[in-house]
Amino acid sequence: MNRFDRQWQKLIVAARQAPAETGATVPYGFATRLAAQAAALPATPWLPLERFAWRGLLVAAVCGISAIAFNYSVFTTEQTDIYATGTTDVVVDLLDIS
Amino acid sequence: MADESFDLLGCLERVRQRDQLAARQLVEHLYPLVSRIVRSHLPRRVAEEDLAQDIFLKMFTRLEQYQGNVPFPHWVSRIAVTTCIDQLRAQKRRPEFRWADLSENEAEVLDNILTDERDVAPGQALAARELVQKLMAQLKPDDRMVIQLLDLEQKTIAEISGLTGWNQTLVKVRAFRARRKLQKLFQELQSKERS
Repeated sequence: MNRFDRQWQKLIVAARQAPAETGATVPYGFATRLAAQAAALPATPWLPLERFAWRGLLVAAVCGISAIAFNYSVFTTEQTDIYATGTTDVVVDLLDIS
Repeated sequence: MADESFDLLGCLERVRQRDQLAARQLVEHLYPLVSRIVRSHLPRRVAEEDLAQDIFLKMFTRLEQYQGNVPFPHWVSRIAVTTCIDQLRAQKRRPEFRWADLSENEAEVLDNILTDERDVAPGQALAARELVQKLMAQLKPDDRMVIQLLDLEQKTIAEISGLTGWNQTLVKVRAFRARRKLQKLFQELQSKERS
């Protein structure tokens, strides 16, 4: 323990011996005023929003999955038929690869 | 807490249903706890009652977020400590610390400490505490909070971590930094002539 640590410990030990401050009684009217203020607070604005957000996410996920499921066949057939069905793709025409 | 038989969970349930009487009882029940924290960390020029009011309003605002994972008084303590830290951060830093800032008793205590001559007399405990508060006012708010909790209130690193939300390494770093700053302060005071 260096000199400062010794000095600081001595001071802290003395400070801890100071009597605890009394008078922790609620000031007159304090609790009533706070209770009134608490009653006037808006009713937890974040929780309903949070519920909406989760519902929104669920609906969006269902829509997304449905969209993929309904259009899956279209995606796959378009990919395979692109060269076979006489497409008018400019690049295909230019390179003459049809 | 004064009243052991206080039905805290029942009271919280009624507060959630906007029962003003229950809200009043809750404030009265928790006031000694909040008051003790506020007094330990009260920044200059901030009224104790105003700070306690801020803490209770935060408590009511966030009541729906309380999940019951920790005891309710512990949850409120954390709100109180973080509110005090915010207030300490908001206050401007004190100018240079001088002997002239000290009362006669505080200067005598500091003299005893710095000269390593005598122990602090039991009758000077109050002056010692005032002196510690003045010295700690020179620290950064976060460092001050750590020293207050660690040295004065004798809390463990884990308890401080739980109260402040800082990880244990950060608490240790802040304690180290604070002690180094205090050491520098002591050296400066030692080198100055007591006026």
